[in-house]
Amino acid sequence: MKPLKTFDLLILGGGPAGMAAAIYAAQANMRTALVESNICGGLVNSTYVVENFPSQKCIPGMDLAQRILEQTESLGVTVDQAADVTRLALTGSMKEIETEEFLYTSPALILATGRQPVPMDIDTHDCKQVHFCSICDGAAYRGKNVLVIGGGNSGFNEAYYLHSLGVKKIHLVEKMDHFPALQAAQDKLLSRDDGVTAMTSTVVVELIQQDKLMAVKLRNTATGEIHHVPVDGIFVYMGQLPNNRLFADIVALDSDGYVITNDDMETNMPGVFAAGDIRSKKYRQITTAVADGTIAALSAGNFLRNKKM
Amino acid sequence: MITIDLTDANYAEHVAATANGLLLLHKKLCPHCLNMKKVIEKFIANGNETVPVMFIDIEENPQAMSGLSIERVPTLLVIKKGKVAATRVGLMNPRQLGTLYKDA
Repeated sequence: MKPLKTFDLLILGGGPAGMAAAIYAAQANMRTALVESNICGGLVNSTYVVENFPSQKCIPGMDLAQRILEQTESLGVTVDQAADVTRLALTGSMKEIETEEFLYTSPALILATGRQPVPMDIDTHDCKQVHFCSICDGAAYRGKNVLVIGGGNSGFNEAYYLHSLGVKKIHLVEKMDHFPALQAAQDKLLSRDDGVTAMTSTVVVELIQQDKLMAVKLRNTATGEIHHVPVDGIFVYMGQLPNNRLFADIVALDSDGYVITNDDMETNMPGVFAAGDIRSKKYRQITTAVADGTIAALSAGNFLRNKKM
Repeated sequence: MITIDLTDANYAEHVAATANGLLLLHKKLCPHCLNMKKVIEKFIANGNETVPVMFIDIEENPQAMSGLSIERVPTLLVIKKGKVAATRVGLMNPRQLGTLYKDA
Protein backbone atom coordinates (compact mmCIF):
# COMPACT_ATOMS: atom_id res chain seq x y z
CA MET A 1 0.00 0.00 0.00
CA LYS A 2 1.46 3.33 -1.05
CA PRO A 3 1.50 6.26 1.37
CA LEU A 4 -1.67 8.32 0.98
CA LYS A 5 -1.30 12.09 0.66
CA THR A 6 -4.48 14.15 0.83
CA PHE A 7 -4.71 17.76 -0.33
CA ASP A 8 -7.32 20.37 -1.20
CA LEU A 9 -6.00 20.66 -4.74
CA LEU A 10 -3.83 18.53 -6.98
CA ILE A 11 -2.09 19.94 -10.03
CA LEU A 12 -0.78 17.56 -12.67
CA GLY A 13 2.01 19.26 -14.60
CA GLY A 14 4.57 21.81 -13.47
CA GLY A 15 4.92 24.20 -16.38
CA PRO A 16 4.08 27.89 -16.06
CA ALA A 17 0.34 27.11 -15.92
CA GLY A 18 0.68 24.50 -13.19
CA MET A 19 3.06 26.59 -11.11
CA ALA A 20 0.95 29.75 -11.45
CA ALA A 21 -2.08 27.73 -10.33
CA ALA A 22 -0.10 26.40 -7.37
CA ILE A 23 0.96 29.91 -6.34
CA TYR A 24 -2.60 31.21 -6.41
CA ALA A 25 -3.95 28.13 -4.65
CA ALA A 26 -1.34 28.34 -1.90
CA GLN A 27 -2.05 32.02 -1.38
CA ALA A 28 -5.74 31.11 -1.01
CA ASN A 29 -4.74 28.69 1.77
CA MET A 30 -5.50 25.59 -0.26
CA ARG A 31 -3.26 22.64 0.66
CA THR A 32 -1.76 22.05 -2.77
CA ALA A 33 0.42 19.41 -4.38
CA LEU A 34 1.98 19.72 -7.80
CA VAL A 35 3.04 16.48 -9.51
CA GLU A 36 5.41 16.69 -12.47
CA SER A 37 6.86 13.75 -14.38
CA ASN A 38 9.86 15.78 -15.51
CA ILE A 39 11.27 18.90 -13.88
CA CYS A 40 9.12 21.95 -13.39
CA GLY A 41 9.18 24.52 -16.16
CA GLY A 42 7.80 22.56 -19.09
CA LEU A 43 8.79 23.77 -22.52
CA VAL A 44 10.17 26.97 -21.00
CA ASN A 45 13.17 24.93 -19.90
CA SER A 46 14.05 24.21 -23.51
CA THR A 47 13.80 27.86 -24.52
CA TYR A 48 17.14 29.59 -24.91
CA VAL A 49 15.94 33.01 -23.82
CA VAL A 50 12.50 34.40 -23.01
CA GLU A 51 12.03 37.99 -24.11
CA ASN A 52 8.29 38.48 -23.76
CA PHE A 53 7.55 37.75 -20.12
CA PRO A 54 6.59 40.98 -18.32
CA SER A 55 9.26 42.15 -15.85
CA GLN A 56 11.95 40.06 -17.59
CA LYS A 57 13.50 41.81 -20.56
CA CYS A 58 15.65 38.82 -21.48
CA ILE A 59 16.01 35.74 -19.31
CA PRO A 60 17.16 32.15 -20.03
CA GLY A 61 14.16 29.84 -20.01
CA MET A 62 15.62 27.62 -17.29
CA ASP A 63 16.24 30.63 -15.05
CA LEU A 64 12.66 31.82 -15.45
CA ALA A 65 11.32 28.34 -14.66
CA GLN A 66 13.58 28.11 -11.61
CA ARG A 67 12.38 31.47 -10.29
CA ILE A 68 8.73 30.47 -10.60
CA LEU A 69 9.52 27.14 -8.92
CA GLU A 70 11.28 28.86 -6.01
CA GLN A 71 8.25 31.09 -5.50
CA THR A 72 5.95 28.07 -5.66
CA GLU A 73 7.94 26.09 -3.10
CA SER A 74 8.35 29.09 -0.81
CA LEU A 75 4.57 29.15 -0.39
CA GLY A 76 4.51 25.63 1.02
CA VAL A 77 3.31 23.80 -2.08
CA THR A 78 4.30 20.12 -2.15
CA VAL A 79 6.23 19.73 -5.40
CA ASP A 80 6.97 16.19 -6.59
CA GLN A 81 9.27 16.32 -9.61
CA ALA A 82 10.48 13.35 -11.68
CA ALA A 83 7.32 11.60 -10.51
CA ASP A 84 6.48 8.44 -12.39
CA VAL A 85 2.69 8.84 -12.74
CA THR A 86 1.07 5.46 -13.22
CA ARG A 87 -2.64 6.23 -12.86
CA LEU A 88 -5.10 9.09 -12.81
CA ALA A 89 -8.66 8.85 -11.44
CA LEU A 90 -10.97 11.77 -12.20
CA THR A 91 -14.51 10.44 -12.03
CA GLY A 92 -15.08 10.11 -8.28
CA SER A 93 -15.61 12.88 -5.74
CA MET A 94 -11.97 12.45 -4.71
CA LYS A 95 -9.52 12.75 -7.59
CA GLU A 96 -6.37 10.62 -7.51
CA ILE A 97 -2.88 10.77 -8.93
CA GLU A 98 -0.93 7.58 -8.34
CA THR A 99 2.83 7.60 -8.74
CA GLU A 100 5.43 4.90 -8.16
CA GLU A 101 5.81 6.26 -4.63
CA PHE A 102 2.55 7.86 -3.45
CA LEU A 103 -1.21 8.03 -3.87
CA TYR A 104 -2.26 11.68 -3.99
CA THR A 105 -5.95 12.55 -3.49
CA SER A 106 -8.00 15.74 -3.45
CA PRO A 107 -11.53 16.90 -4.30
CA ALA A 108 -10.25 19.16 -7.11
CA LEU A 109 -7.59 18.72 -9.75
CA ILE A 110 -6.03 20.89 -12.44
CA LEU A 111 -4.67 19.30 -15.60
CA ALA A 112 -1.64 21.27 -16.77
CA THR A 113 0.27 18.61 -18.65
CA GLY A 114 1.21 20.80 -21.59
CA ARG A 115 2.61 19.55 -24.86
CA GLN A 116 5.55 17.61 -26.21
CA PRO A 117 7.54 17.93 -29.44
CA VAL A 118 6.26 16.31 -32.62
CA PRO A 119 8.73 13.63 -33.73
CA MET A 120 9.98 13.35 -37.31
CA ASP A 121 7.51 11.62 -39.59
CA ILE A 122 10.08 9.34 -41.20
CA ASP A 123 11.90 6.39 -39.68
CA THR A 124 15.04 7.79 -38.07
CA HIS A 125 16.25 4.31 -37.04
CA ASP A 126 16.87 5.74 -33.56
CA CYS A 127 19.49 8.05 -34.97
CA LYS A 128 21.42 9.50 -32.03
CA GLN A 129 22.06 12.74 -33.89
CA VAL A 130 18.36 13.72 -33.92
CA HIS A 131 17.65 16.24 -31.15
CA PHE A 132 14.80 18.31 -29.77
CA CYS A 133 16.73 20.64 -27.47
CA SER A 134 19.49 22.88 -28.80
CA ILE A 135 20.37 24.11 -25.31
CA CYS A 136 21.00 20.53 -24.24
CA ASP A 137 22.76 19.14 -27.28
CA GLY A 138 23.80 22.08 -29.46
CA ALA A 139 27.34 22.51 -28.15
CA ALA A 140 28.41 19.21 -29.68
CA TYR A 141 27.91 20.74 -33.14
CA ARG A 142 30.35 23.64 -32.95
CA GLY A 143 32.09 23.83 -36.32
CA LYS A 144 29.71 21.27 -37.82
CA ASN A 145 26.68 21.25 -40.12
CA VAL A 146 23.17 21.07 -38.75
CA LEU A 147 19.67 20.72 -40.16
CA VAL A 148 16.86 22.52 -38.33
CA ILE A 149 13.39 21.26 -39.19
CA GLY A 150 10.54 23.71 -38.72
CA GLY A 151 10.10 27.31 -39.80
CA GLY A 152 8.07 28.51 -36.83
CA ASN A 153 9.32 30.73 -34.02
CA SER A 154 10.99 27.81 -32.25
CA GLY A 155 12.83 26.71 -35.38
CA PHE A 156 14.19 30.18 -36.10
CA ASN A 157 15.03 31.00 -32.48
CA GLU A 158 16.80 27.72 -31.86
CA ALA A 159 18.65 27.98 -35.19
CA TYR A 160 19.82 31.42 -34.08
CA TYR A 161 21.03 29.93 -30.82
CA LEU A 162 22.87 27.15 -32.64
CA HIS A 163 24.51 29.69 -34.93
CA SER A 164 25.61 31.75 -31.94
CA LEU A 165 27.16 28.59 -30.45
CA GLY A 166 29.44 28.33 -33.46
CA VAL A 167 27.65 25.83 -35.66
CA LYS A 168 29.32 26.22 -39.05
CA LYS A 169 26.35 25.71 -41.35
CA ILE A 170 22.64 25.68 -40.59
CA HIS A 171 20.04 24.48 -43.07
CA LEU A 172 16.54 25.37 -41.92
CA VAL A 173 13.65 23.70 -43.73
CA GLU A 174 9.91 24.24 -43.56
CA LYS A 175 7.35 22.03 -45.30
CA MET A 176 4.87 24.85 -45.92
CA ASP A 177 5.36 27.37 -48.73
CA HIS A 178 6.09 30.11 -46.19
CA PHE A 179 7.73 30.43 -42.78
CA PRO A 180 5.11 30.74 -40.04
CA ALA A 181 7.65 32.40 -37.68
CA LEU A 182 7.29 36.05 -36.76
CA GLN A 183 9.15 38.28 -39.19
CA ALA A 184 11.39 39.53 -36.37
CA ALA A 185 12.55 36.00 -35.61
CA GLN A 186 13.25 35.37 -39.29
CA ASP A 187 15.16 38.62 -39.70
CA LYS A 188 17.26 37.94 -36.62
CA LEU A 189 18.53 34.67 -38.04
CA LEU A 190 18.70 35.52 -41.72
CA SER A 191 20.60 38.75 -41.08
CA ARG A 192 23.55 36.61 -40.06
CA ASP A 193 26.17 37.08 -42.77
CA ASP A 194 26.95 33.48 -43.53
CA GLY A 195 26.30 29.91 -42.61
CA VAL A 196 22.51 30.00 -42.77
CA THR A 197 20.17 28.83 -45.49
CA ALA A 198 16.39 28.63 -45.11
CA MET A 199 14.10 26.75 -47.49
CA THR A 200 10.33 26.53 -47.69
CA SER A 201 8.34 23.71 -49.35
CA THR A 202 11.04 21.30 -48.23
CA VAL A 203 10.75 18.00 -46.39
CA VAL A 204 13.22 15.39 -45.18
CA VAL A 205 12.72 12.09 -46.97
CA GLU A 206 15.71 10.07 -45.74
CA LEU A 207 18.56 10.10 -43.26
CA ILE A 208 21.86 8.80 -44.59
CA GLN A 209 23.74 7.05 -41.80
CA GLN A 210 27.03 5.17 -41.51
CA ASP A 211 27.31 4.46 -37.80
CA LYS A 212 26.30 8.08 -37.37
CA LEU A 213 24.37 10.65 -39.36
CA MET A 214 26.20 11.67 -42.54
CA ALA A 215 23.58 13.50 -44.62
CA VAL A 216 19.91 13.98 -45.34
CA LYS A 217 17.88 13.77 -48.50
CA LEU A 218 15.57 16.75 -48.87
CA ARG A 219 12.69 16.98 -51.33
CA ASN A 220 11.23 20.20 -52.65
CA THR A 221 7.49 19.54 -52.54
CA ALA A 222 6.81 22.12 -55.25
CA THR A 223 9.32 20.88 -57.84
CA GLY A 224 9.99 17.32 -56.67
CA GLU A 225 13.70 18.05 -56.76
CA ILE A 226 15.88 16.01 -54.38
CA HIS A 227 18.86 17.54 -52.58
CA HIS A 228 21.57 15.57 -50.82
CA VAL A 229 22.80 17.71 -47.92
CA PRO A 230 25.67 16.68 -45.64
CA VAL A 231 24.76 17.30 -41.99
CA ASP A 232 26.11 16.11 -38.66
CA GLY A 233 22.99 16.65 -36.61
CA ILE A 234 19.28 17.40 -36.82
CA PHE A 235 17.21 19.58 -34.51
CA VAL A 236 13.46 19.10 -34.78
CA TYR A 237 10.97 21.90 -34.10
CA MET A 238 7.87 20.73 -35.94
CA GLY A 239 5.39 21.86 -33.36
CA GLN A 240 3.88 20.15 -30.36
CA LEU A 241 1.35 17.48 -29.45
CA PRO A 242 -0.91 17.51 -26.36
CA ASN A 243 0.19 15.40 -23.38
CA ASN A 244 -3.21 13.79 -22.84
CA ARG A 245 -2.27 10.11 -22.48
CA LEU A 246 -3.44 9.80 -18.88
CA PHE A 247 -6.93 11.24 -19.41
CA ALA A 248 -7.72 11.09 -23.13
CA ASP A 249 -10.58 8.65 -22.54
CA ILE A 250 -12.07 10.52 -19.60
CA VAL A 251 -12.06 14.25 -20.26
CA ALA A 252 -13.72 15.89 -23.30
CA LEU A 253 -11.11 16.79 -25.90
CA ASP A 254 -11.26 18.69 -29.17
CA SER A 255 -10.41 17.01 -32.48
CA ASP A 256 -6.70 17.76 -31.96
CA GLY A 257 -6.63 16.19 -28.51
CA TYR A 258 -6.69 19.35 -26.38
CA VAL A 259 -8.91 19.65 -23.30
CA ILE A 260 -12.12 21.60 -23.82
CA THR A 261 -12.88 24.06 -21.02
CA ASN A 262 -15.14 27.03 -20.45
CA ASP A 263 -13.81 30.49 -19.56
CA ASP A 264 -13.42 29.37 -15.94
CA MET A 265 -11.13 26.52 -17.03
CA GLU A 266 -13.73 23.92 -16.03
CA THR A 267 -13.71 20.67 -18.00
CA ASN A 268 -16.71 18.40 -18.48
CA MET A 269 -15.75 16.58 -15.26
CA PRO A 270 -16.88 18.21 -11.99
CA GLY A 271 -13.86 19.28 -9.96
CA VAL A 272 -11.47 18.86 -12.88
CA PHE A 273 -9.95 21.96 -14.45
CA ALA A 274 -7.40 22.47 -17.21
CA ALA A 275 -4.84 25.19 -17.81
CA GLY A 276 -2.02 26.08 -20.16
CA ASP A 277 -0.98 24.47 -23.42
CA ILE A 278 -3.08 21.36 -22.85
CA ARG A 279 -6.23 23.48 -23.11
CA SER A 280 -8.02 23.94 -26.41
CA LYS A 281 -7.29 27.55 -27.39
CA LYS A 282 -5.74 29.72 -30.05
CA TYR A 283 -2.68 31.28 -28.41
CA ARG A 284 -0.12 29.31 -26.43
CA GLN A 285 2.39 31.54 -24.72
CA ILE A 286 3.97 31.56 -21.25
CA THR A 287 1.79 34.50 -20.33
CA THR A 288 -1.41 32.83 -21.49
CA ALA A 289 -0.45 29.70 -19.57
CA VAL A 290 0.07 31.75 -16.43
CA ALA A 291 -3.32 33.40 -16.96
CA ASP A 292 -4.99 30.01 -17.39
CA GLY A 293 -3.33 28.72 -14.24
CA THR A 294 -4.53 31.73 -12.28
CA ILE A 295 -8.12 31.29 -13.41
CA ALA A 296 -8.05 27.53 -12.85
CA ALA A 297 -6.83 27.96 -9.26
CA LEU A 298 -9.44 30.61 -8.49
CA SER A 299 -12.17 28.46 -10.03
CA ALA A 300 -10.97 25.42 -8.08
CA GLY A 301 -11.16 27.49 -4.89
CA ASN A 302 -14.69 28.48 -5.74
CA PHE A 303 -15.56 24.83 -6.44
CA LEU A 304 -14.19 23.75 -3.07
CA ARG A 305 -16.09 26.47 -1.21
CA ASN A 306 -19.37 25.53 -2.90
CA LYS A 307 -18.73 21.88 -2.14
CA LYS A 308 -18.44 22.60 1.58
CA MET A 309 -21.70 24.60 1.71
CA MET B 1 23.21 11.83 -0.56
CA ILE B 2 26.97 11.39 -0.95
CA THR B 3 27.96 13.60 -3.89
CA ILE B 4 31.33 14.36 -5.42
CA ASP B 5 32.05 16.86 -8.19
CA LEU B 6 34.81 15.51 -10.38
CA THR B 7 37.15 17.29 -12.77
CA ASP B 8 39.30 16.46 -15.77
CA ALA B 9 42.18 16.05 -13.39
CA ASN B 10 40.69 13.54 -10.96
CA TYR B 11 37.78 11.71 -12.57
CA ALA B 12 39.77 8.65 -13.67
CA GLU B 13 41.25 8.18 -10.23
CA HIS B 14 37.86 8.48 -8.52
CA VAL B 15 36.15 6.09 -10.92
CA ALA B 16 38.89 3.52 -10.44
CA ALA B 17 38.53 3.79 -6.67
CA THR B 18 34.72 3.41 -6.65
CA ALA B 19 33.34 -0.01 -5.74
CA ASN B 20 29.71 0.90 -6.53
CA GLY B 21 28.41 4.28 -7.63
CA LEU B 22 26.81 6.53 -10.19
CA LEU B 23 28.48 9.10 -12.42
CA LEU B 24 26.37 11.73 -14.18
CA LEU B 25 27.85 13.80 -16.97
CA HIS B 26 25.85 17.00 -17.22
CA LYS B 27 25.95 20.70 -17.97
CA LYS B 28 24.29 23.64 -16.33
CA LEU B 29 21.91 24.84 -19.03
CA CYS B 30 20.37 21.44 -19.67
CA PRO B 31 16.85 20.68 -18.46
CA HIS B 32 17.23 16.95 -19.01
CA CYS B 33 20.35 16.99 -16.84
CA LEU B 34 18.42 18.68 -14.06
CA ASN B 35 15.72 16.06 -14.49
CA MET B 36 18.28 13.26 -14.11
CA LYS B 37 19.55 14.86 -10.91
CA LYS B 38 16.01 14.66 -9.51
CA VAL B 39 15.73 11.04 -10.65
CA ILE B 40 19.02 10.20 -8.93
CA GLU B 41 17.84 11.93 -5.74
CA LYS B 42 14.75 9.71 -5.72
CA PHE B 43 16.78 6.58 -6.43
CA ILE B 44 19.14 7.40 -3.56
CA ALA B 45 16.25 8.18 -1.19
CA ASN B 46 14.67 4.80 -1.92
CA GLY B 47 17.07 2.64 0.01
CA ASN B 48 20.29 3.48 -1.80
CA GLU B 49 21.62 6.08 0.61
CA THR B 50 25.12 4.61 0.63
CA VAL B 51 25.58 4.77 -3.14
CA PRO B 52 27.95 7.64 -3.96
CA VAL B 53 26.98 9.94 -6.82
CA MET B 54 29.67 11.65 -8.86
CA PHE B 55 29.05 14.56 -11.20
CA ILE B 56 31.10 15.96 -14.07
CA ASP B 57 30.16 19.27 -15.68
CA ILE B 58 31.26 18.62 -19.25
CA GLU B 59 31.57 22.28 -20.17
CA GLU B 60 34.07 22.84 -17.41
CA ASN B 61 35.70 19.43 -17.92
CA PRO B 62 35.65 18.61 -21.64
CA GLN B 63 38.50 16.10 -21.45
CA ALA B 64 36.48 13.83 -19.18
CA MET B 65 33.74 13.74 -21.80
CA SER B 66 36.10 12.54 -24.53
CA GLY B 67 38.00 10.33 -22.10
CA LEU B 68 34.80 8.50 -21.24
CA SER B 69 33.70 8.47 -24.92
CA ILE B 70 30.54 10.45 -24.16
CA GLU B 71 28.91 12.54 -26.88
CA ARG B 72 25.72 13.79 -25.24
CA VAL B 73 24.35 14.85 -21.89
CA PRO B 74 22.86 13.74 -19.68
CA THR B 75 24.75 10.48 -19.67
CA LEU B 76 24.65 8.29 -16.60
CA LEU B 77 27.35 5.74 -15.90
CA VAL B 78 26.98 2.95 -13.37
CA ILE B 79 30.34 2.24 -11.78
CA LYS B 80 31.03 -1.22 -10.37
CA LYS B 81 34.43 -2.38 -9.13
CA GLY B 82 36.17 0.69 -10.48
CA LYS B 83 34.88 0.26 -14.01
CA VAL B 84 31.98 1.52 -16.12
CA ALA B 85 29.43 -1.29 -15.86
CA ALA B 86 26.53 0.39 -17.67
CA THR B 87 25.89 3.56 -19.66
CA ARG B 88 22.58 5.26 -20.34
CA VAL B 89 22.12 8.39 -22.44
CA GLY B 90 19.09 10.60 -21.90
CA LEU B 91 16.18 10.38 -19.51
CA MET B 92 14.88 7.57 -17.38
CA ASN B 93 12.66 7.34 -14.32
CA PRO B 94 13.78 6.25 -10.84
CA ARG B 95 12.40 2.74 -11.38
CA GLN B 96 14.40 2.33 -14.59
CA LEU B 97 17.48 3.65 -12.84
CA GLY B 98 16.97 1.06 -10.10
CA THR B 99 16.87 -1.72 -12.67
CA LEU B 100 19.89 -0.35 -14.53
CA TYR B 101 21.92 -0.16 -11.30
CA LYS B 102 20.86 -3.60 -10.13
CA ASP B 103 21.55 -5.31 -13.46
CA ALA B 104 24.91 -3.66 -14.12
